[in-house]
Amino acid sequence: MTHSNRNFVLAYLMLVALPVLGLVGVLRSGRNLTAPISLGGQWKIQMDAGKLAALPCGKLLTTSQDPGFAISQSGKNFTVNVGNSLTPSSGEIDGTAVMARIMPSTGSAKDAGCGGEHVLSLTATVDPKANPRSLEGTLSVNDCPACVPVEFHAVRVDQVKSKGGH
Amino acid sequence: MLNMFTLVLQIAVVLAVCRLVGTLFLKIHQPRVVGEMFAGIMLGPSLLGLIAPQVSAFVFPPSSLGFLNALSQIGVIVFMFLVGLGINPKELKSQGHAAVLTSHVSITAPFVLASFLAIYLYPRLSDDSVPFMSFALFMGAAMSITAFPVLARILTERDMLQSRLGTVAIACAAVDDVTGWCILAYIVLLIRSANTGNPIWLTVGGLIAFALIMIYGVQRLLRRFESIYHERSALSDNALALMLLLALVSALCTEWLGIHLLFGSFLMGAIMPKEQKFVRYVLDRFEPIVVTLLLPLFFAFTGLRTNIALVRGREMWMYCGVIILVATTGKLGGSMLASWWTGMPAREAAGLGTLMNTRGLMELVILNIGLDIKVISPALFSMMVLMALTTTFMTSPALEVICPDKMVRAGMEVATREELAVGQLGLNPAGD
Repeated sequence: MTHSNRNFVLAYLMLVALPVLGLVGVLRSGRNLTAPISLGGQWKIQMDAGKLAALPCGKLLTTSQDPGFAISQSGKNFTVNVGNSLTPSSGEIDGTAVMARIMPSTGSAKDAGCGGEHVLSLTATVDPKANPRSLEGTLSVNDCPACVPVEFHAVRVDQVKSKGGH
Repeated sequence: MLNMFTLVLQIAVVLAVCRLVGTLFLKIHQPRVVGEMFAGIMLGPSLLGLIAPQVSAFVFPPSSLGFLNALSQIGVIVFMFLVGLGINPKELKSQGHAAVLTSHVSITAPFVLASFLAIYLYPRLSDDSVPFMSFALFMGAAMSITAFPVLARILTERDMLQSRLGTVAIACAAVDDVTGWCILAYIVLLIRSANTGNPIWLTVGGLIAFALIMIYGVQRLLRRFESIYHERSALSDNALALMLLLALVSALCTEWLGIHLLFGSFLMGAIMPKEQKFVRYVLDRFEPIVVTLLLPLFFAFTGLRTNIALVRGREMWMYCGVIILVATTGKLGGSMLASWWTGMPAREAAGLGTLMNTRGLMELVILNIGLDIKVISPALFSMMVLMALTTTFMTSPALEVICPDKMVRAGMEVATREELAVGQLGLNPAGD
């Protein structure tokens, strides 16, 4: 092997091969990391429609043709979309506990008798072992002692599947 | 249902905004494509949706975006074919060991740094449906890519394509892109086979067989295009349509095999004949419609998926800043170090690092795939888009400072193999 080739091999080992070994180490050590529980996707919700309609903002959910919601997740934060009459709202995941505040859109708030301090609160617990993933929790209205929280059960309908690309 | 009024309105708005912003960017010495990328972001929820939500909902109702996406994807498929066509692996061979080392370091440095960053970001911006390995590999591939077409455009506009810096940069970017796409194919394969339950060996076997057929079978047939071009100094419409058809069939094959449409069209482009005049002729035939009509639609669609509002709070902006810093350090620093080590003067090495740090459109293509296969979250997607815009935007001004025009004209003469290869290491271009 000539001097120049030896130098090339040495440089290659130091600048390419060693970092690649480092990469292998990172990939191995990263296996033990845990990320927040996955909630992203479409969810179907089951609850007592009568009780929900009695809540100040509940009508917005009961009038929806498709009783469900979509979650877009980024780490422990997520955005929940519930029909057209409610603005996309943000929530947070803490372990298996889920919390979100669902706000009515400006136009529909008055009709449904909510808005201002009346905001729907979603609190739930995820069952991480359930397949499909499910949520158990309550929908309640903030600052409304007279309002009875409504229990709900939600099941994720589109499990993470990447078939078609775009 | 397809609403033609909405679709045509969308195309008109996208074209108008992209042309306008692209022209404005030309005035500040940025390539038009950078302006068009910014225009796409402006049309999405980050600007139009924020300041005029009613207008945004009227022009881009969510139910209509599928058609816009379909059109933009056709554009990206043809674009990837053209990118593959423009890449010539022989260019790297002619540059000798020094360029080989530089190109490989410019991949491994950002890749390794990105995987370290993945350890920090995974618990914060991902979720348990994504295995760490896929997340880290994707971050690595996304950070190590170089926008070959944007790079070529910057070099052409600055009259640097024939300089030593330009030839090395083009060769390294070609290697980076091919490597980046191979790694990405592997990640897509990993994720899709995990989701579909298909054995991975079946897909890998199929892909290897497909690649061998393309390289040793189809490539020979493609030479016929080149000989017809030389006989007649032109290709008939039928020949051009056949070329497009082959790119689409190849795209369908890779999609069917379980990776992605874009890999097939890229591969078909990569195995096309590489004679310069022929390549230029084919590019001239296809580029106008792709660049002026279809790519702006892709920028707009990417912009509609990018929501900078998701990057909220000091913490999230810090993640975004760290991503930009790591991407720049890895790519710019890695390329600079390797080229300087192999004998390039420090200033030129810095120029090469700056050029290699251009991610542009290729980054957006990769990020969209990542979001589609759900390996990155919407917030991380938005941060990475910001990183792509920042690193692309900074290239021209940084290059102007590091390698001003007069320096390029005065000192950076046309490269020869010997010039590049003989450096501190005394590397021999022929490898002996």
